[in-house]
Amino acid sequence: MASLTGASLNFTSLSSSFNRTQAPLRGISNVNSVSFQSIRMRPGSLRFRVSCAAKPETVNKVCEIVRKQLALPEDSSVTGESKFAALGADSLDTVEIVMGLEEEFGISVEEESAQSITTVQDAADMIEKLIKSRDA
Amino acid sequence: MKIQINGAFPYGLQMQNLRETHLWYILPDEVKRVALLKQYSELLSPCERENVNRMGGDQLKKRALLARALVRTTIARYQTNCEMNPRSLKFRKNIYGKPEVEWQTEDNFIPPPLHFNISHTSSMIACGVTVNVPIGIDVEEKQRRIKNNVIAFARRYFSPYEVELLTAISDPEIQRQEFIKLWTLKEAYVKALGKGFSAVPFKTFTIRFRPKALRSLPGSPVSEASEIIIDSSDDPSILTNNWQFALLEVAGGHYASICTEKDKSIGGEGTMPMKLTVRKTIPFVEDVCVSGTDAVVALGGIIEQ
Repeated sequence: MASLTGASLNFTSLSSSFNRTQAPLRGISNVNSVSFQSIRMRPGSLRFRVSCAAKPETVNKVCEIVRKQLALPEDSSVTGESKFAALGADSLDTVEIVMGLEEEFGISVEEESAQSITTVQDAADMIEKLIKSRDA
Repeated sequence: MKIQINGAFPYGLQMQNLRETHLWYILPDEVKRVALLKQYSELLSPCERENVNRMGGDQLKKRALLARALVRTTIARYQTNCEMNPRSLKFRKNIYGKPEVEWQTEDNFIPPPLHFNISHTSSMIACGVTVNVPIGIDVEEKQRRIKNNVIAFARRYFSPYEVELLTAISDPEIQRQEFIKLWTLKEAYVKALGKGFSAVPFKTFTIRFRPKALRSLPGSPVSEASEIIIDSSDDPSILTNNWQFALLEVAGGHYASICTEKDKSIGGEGTMPMKLTVRKTIPFVEDVCVSGTDAVVALGGIIEQ
């Protein structure tokens, strides 16, 4: 996609990856089809994590489940910082992800909490909290 | 930047008098021109542009861009005085997180009581607009695959009545489709309420179809196949009849649910049809009214197109 900055739009050359994901035009004429080189996302700023944050293994497991649910390509970046919405998840996806997490970790998530998870880290932290109280 | 639409502009006054619901949608696959996408990006606030850039991948960025462009250009159409520049609209979230327009209060400017709600899937972005009453919409692809077992999903999140209904469907494909329809109806309701999902969890209410005899005259635009009603699960005798629904199949492959609050001021106890107009748009390029065509099939609710 052309990168959108405050001042101007930068265009870069054709890329096959963008072509592959395009669905065929539906009977629309006189539209010029252009492809864009995919822009790698700027890495998010590093944040200090307090020690009560989830273990990396938990985060990785969540990433794996998210990838599967959203059918993300292997090379797409999914980290603790990743927001579900930014990965293309809608509310139905989020609920499905939570169900997958419940199954994987043997926990039960309240519906209200399920809808309020917005990042991978949120999910991982919540999982560990639930595991702790389950095993207490 | 003016919005020049083929004919009817502005919509504001007409809508207010006629109590209509308008649904606008974009099919992202129809928007490819670089210059057009650039025009859309110029409508966005810096904050919105940043959000678009944060989306992972080209398709998601485009979808986010089109969603904001659709909201801005759609609302800009409903001005009763002069032309409204879609770029100058400001948005905020209510205390529960529901997006709304932040009207700039100037002298003699009375903000229109305009309500809107958006929803998108990868192949459709939709924006519903009403006057005076809250609105919630949800669109889903008809072919959307559910990763979990549908009944397990329903048991977890839907009401007992709804689970029973779905369980009784033997064809797994039909079952999946009915599940998705129900999901969009429930989503639309929660979004119309605008109080966030924790205020009214899906399990606490039931949406169902109440068949009605076809009373309409031949050729009448009112479809009354079945009314969609909502009960509170906690007490099934309480009918939450402040809300009305429309369930549609739009542009072939999409289910769209619309939920609006009934306008009490028009009086009467019976359910007035939802006066719905559906338009397909490519902002700045063309608008097509698709109500009454194959592009819009009424699946439930009392709708007049």
